[in-house]
Amino acid sequence: MAIDTTNQSEEMAREQLLDLAAEFYDQFADGAVPSMQIPTRTKSNIEYDEDSEVWVYGDRHSTRSAKTVSGAKKLLKATYVIDFLSTQLDEDRSSTLRELYYLSESWDHEIAQFSDQNESNQLIEDLEIVSDVSREDFHMRPEESGATLMGPLQLREQTRRGERDIHCQKDVGEGGYQIPNNPDTIEFLDNDADFVLCVETGGMRDRLVENGFDTEYNTIIVHLKGQPARATRRITRRLHDELGLPVVVFTDGDPWSYRIFASVAYGSIKSAHLSEYLATPDARYIGIQPTDIEEYDLPTDPLSDSDINALENELEDPRFQDDFWTTEIEHQLDIGKKAEQQALAARGLDFVTDEYLPTRLDEMGVI
Amino acid sequence: MTSYQSELGGRSNVAEELAESQRSISIAEFFEKNKHMLGFDSGARGLVTAVKEAVDNALDATEEAGILPDIYVSITEAGDYYRLVVEDNGPGITKEQLPKVFGKLLYGSRFHVREQKRGQQGIGISAAVLYAQLTSGKPAMITSRTDGDSDAQYFELIVDTDSNEPEISVDTTTSWERPHGTRIELEMEANMRARQQLHDYIKHTAVVNPHARIEFEEPRERLKFERVTDQLPAETEEIRPHPHGIELGSLIKLLDESASHSLSGFLQSEFTRVGQKTAESIVTAFRDRHFGRELAWKPAPAPVIESTVSDVVNNKSPDATATFAQRVAGAVSEQPRLAHHECRAIVANAAEHVKSTTGATFGSTVQGHTVEAIWELILDGVESELTELIDEVTTARKSDETIDGMARRLVTKLNGVDRHRLTHDGIESFVERAATQTEQRDDVTFGETAQQKVTEGVWSISSSVPDDPPSVTAVSNDRDFASELLEAMRETDILAPPTDCLAPITDELVEEGLRKEFDADFYAATTRDAEVHGGDPFIVEAGIAYGGDILSDGSIDVLRFANRVPLVYQRGACATADVITSINWRNYGLDQPGGSGTPNGPAVVLIHVASTNVPFTSESKDAIANVPEIEHEIELAIRDAARDLKRYLKKRRSLQQRKRKRNVIADILPTMAEKLANMTDQQSLMIEDSLARIMSNVLVERTTTDDGVALTITNHTDTSAELSVTDIVSVDPGSPADATVVEMDGEWFVTWEPTVESGATARLQYDLDGEAEFDISIEGIEAEKLSVTA
Repeated sequence: MAIDTTNQSEEMAREQLLDLAAEFYDQFADGAVPSMQIPTRTKSNIEYDEDSEVWVYGDRHSTRSAKTVSGAKKLLKATYVIDFLSTQLDEDRSSTLRELYYLSESWDHEIAQFSDQNESNQLIEDLEIVSDVSREDFHMRPEESGATLMGPLQLREQTRRGERDIHCQKDVGEGGYQIPNNPDTIEFLDNDADFVLCVETGGMRDRLVENGFDTEYNTIIVHLKGQPARATRRITRRLHDELGLPVVVFTDGDPWSYRIFASVAYGSIKSAHLSEYLATPDARYIGIQPTDIEEYDLPTDPLSDSDINALENELEDPRFQDDFWTTEIEHQLDIGKKAEQQALAARGLDFVTDEYLPTRLDEMGVI
Repeated sequence: MTSYQSELGGRSNVAEELAESQRSISIAEFFEKNKHMLGFDSGARGLVTAVKEAVDNALDATEEAGILPDIYVSITEAGDYYRLVVEDNGPGITKEQLPKVFGKLLYGSRFHVREQKRGQQGIGISAAVLYAQLTSGKPAMITSRTDGDSDAQYFELIVDTDSNEPEISVDTTTSWERPHGTRIELEMEANMRARQQLHDYIKHTAVVNPHARIEFEEPRERLKFERVTDQLPAETEEIRPHPHGIELGSLIKLLDESASHSLSGFLQSEFTRVGQKTAESIVTAFRDRHFGRELAWKPAPAPVIESTVSDVVNNKSPDATATFAQRVAGAVSEQPRLAHHECRAIVANAAEHVKSTTGATFGSTVQGHTVEAIWELILDGVESELTELIDEVTTARKSDETIDGMARRLVTKLNGVDRHRLTHDGIESFVERAATQTEQRDDVTFGETAQQKVTEGVWSISSSVPDDPPSVTAVSNDRDFASELLEAMRETDILAPPTDCLAPITDELVEEGLRKEFDADFYAATTRDAEVHGGDPFIVEAGIAYGGDILSDGSIDVLRFANRVPLVYQRGACATADVITSINWRNYGLDQPGGSGTPNGPAVVLIHVASTNVPFTSESKDAIANVPEIEHEIELAIRDAARDLKRYLKKRRSLQQRKRKRNVIADILPTMAEKLANMTDQQSLMIEDSLARIMSNVLVERTTTDDGVALTITNHTDTSAELSVTDIVSVDPGSPADATVVEMDGEWFVTWEPTVESGATARLQYDLDGEAEFDISIEGIEAEKLSVTA
């Protein structure tokens, strides 16, 4: 069944791409100026969607039109990319974003080639938005190796070498289960979990595993590895939606980490078109909270200028407009300090698993 | 040193002054000592100056005779010397005129004349003659033929360096191919190091004299400049000097030479814009300076005057006395204010009247007593009147004591002056002293503004005296008198001098001249309205040539002209240079490193200043002096032409951008279209329409069917297009609607002139039988804005 779905979505992706090409074709045939409309991808153009409870793009659009030289260049590149992607889907192959960038060097028209990878990444995002197909369905993979998860979960993954059943504690090593680039190829078989704990840093993830936190509290520990990849966010959402598990996010206590939480919970600005698919609106923030810094007397670093800037920006970010975040951010600006997850080690290596997390999880009603 | 050179005598004046102080030495020695000022300081420079003088002379001579100039200049090596020959097709000159034109150094034929002439620019051809004679020992060889004469005259002319008198040493007839004209040949010590300046001079002369044909030959090169217009420059009128533009020395000279007796007559006959009324105003202003004015005060009431006068008169019949007293009192009371001389006039008048009615004689003694008595009465009221006046003209903050003190002290001073007759300066110094005293003694301030107001207040109640002004002779003999007259002239409002005495090249011919000598992409020219500085009218013209064959590396070229004569030396010292560097040329699309200084680029800027008296920085007359009025006009003229340049460059840039954009888009779209057709499995695309829309172009498309042709014109630009569309067809198209058809050698030219609004489409159609070939041409729109698929 899973294979069917994949094939279907591939076919759909191909059709969507060809529709786009046909649209350009018709514009030419009518003697019109070829163009495509894309939502403006900035902070000022995202809005909260009450139905799906995630942040999506508003109705501000920008037009890529052949009327300008730069617009014409973008459309030419788009045409080449569409051609490439549909061929790739046809041949059931995949490539990474970086490969696409290098591959463009071989295209016959010099203007169609990308000048940097940022440009090709953006174009893929544009196509995702316009065609309403995610890049995974285009068979485009990100460069970053997928993050890991560890916990009482049994799943089945479609691999090139066939189906594999994996238990994410018993069948994996200390490193945990590697999340594949397209987590939709996974089928959840069975689980014993009570909740999902997303952890920002590798050091803290290792600490939790070493202290046996996943076994003791029946938790699936998802390693975010900084700003989480799409696959990580997608699997988090699926764990929440399909297994009904509550999700909590555990990061450093600084503005950049709050953004990590925001992208897990509300969706990121760059991929707001996929928020419904990637974001977990029910995810909750566990810490480090600025109030923890004083409560647990944690070792701190002073806020830098860019930290202060980022915090002030967050006060204006629509995703942070609630009492909890407004209070916490303002408090942090007052005390002028930030703390890392590992700062909890100042109170002993077991403090985080014996004291901090259980207390907080209890307060939040997760355990 | 700025030389406005506005003394009369034009060019000769300064040199004459120079010569004056060196009377004891010979003219040769004088020349030797001053040759740097005369433009002969080196062999190279000497040659340029000689060419310049001779050519200027030749141009003036031909134009004055209404002949289109045809000038030949040749420089050849002649042993150790260079031989300069300048020929013109002027009217020729007679033997009598010869010394005047070529001989006497510093002889100014344009003495007393204010006229826009090239000759104003130089020291004269005579200097070149003398230079040649002094360096080579050879006489000037002059050939001249007047129209209708069968033979030409040949003269050799030498200047006696002791007496500065020209001598004709040879006088014969000769034959000459020109029907009329003059040829001068000089041999001189010289070299060709200033070749570039020579070329510049000749070339620039050709630029601003498009009506002249000039041929120039030197040992290495030969230049020829053809005539491009038959229009001679407008004839210029001589004008007399303007009272505002004359200096003291010149005024005295004019006074010396005047035949007039009265100043009024002198002013009217010697100056422009001075009629009887203006002359009277000047003379009155002069009298006010020379004699001063008399303060006029409010007279006593009539009865008081009447009784006072009656008291003063003794030994006359009561009847006559009464008539006299009544008459005086009546006349006085009619006057709101009375000055001493007015009082005297009234009394004298009354005496006359009484004599005619009663026969009684009121002699000068009685009159004198009467005037004195009335004046006494007036003086009694002066202090209170002055108090009132001071109070009125100063601010309300002055205390009564201050005003009283001022008035009291001022009255004391005034009463020390006979008849209250004072000059403006006199009043000013009284007020100043009174103010100082008041400040010191009363410990108050009486500032300069207040003083000035009081001075003007007192001056305003004064009246000019009827005394006869000094005669012209008296004024000319006294420098102070003359100086007073000059001040009076400057102070009086006088109409600006007439400007029709100037002959600008005109903007059209400036452009024509640039077009002739510079192969550029763009030309602009402007002629400003006449303006006046000092007493001299002037006109500034500017022209710009850009692009084409003009060299683009380094600074722009600046061509400077004064009265059509090129200025080739001292470019940096010229007012034009200051103006050019002060302009922000980036604003006009030229490159200006650092945002100031002379701009770079393939451009030539021409500046012409025409005036009855162009001010130069020095006697060598190479650079225009920094006169603010002239600089201002130069700037406006340049900016005016530069604005056209800016528009041109902007348009050119936008067309270039459009072309670049078209090139890129025209590269991208076909590839894109081809790929799309492949991907979607459809037939290949026609993209001209999209391209035209993208480029905001006018698109012309042809569709041919079996029985006709249709041209579809779609205007994607944002302005309406007025086109001329000609389709050249190999088969007879019949007579299509709205078109004209002309047949030529088996080809039919079908022409429409449609106007297509922005965004609209027009269809031009005609019927056709069978196969045909087409060739379309579209005018009325830039090529960059046109897309044709026909």
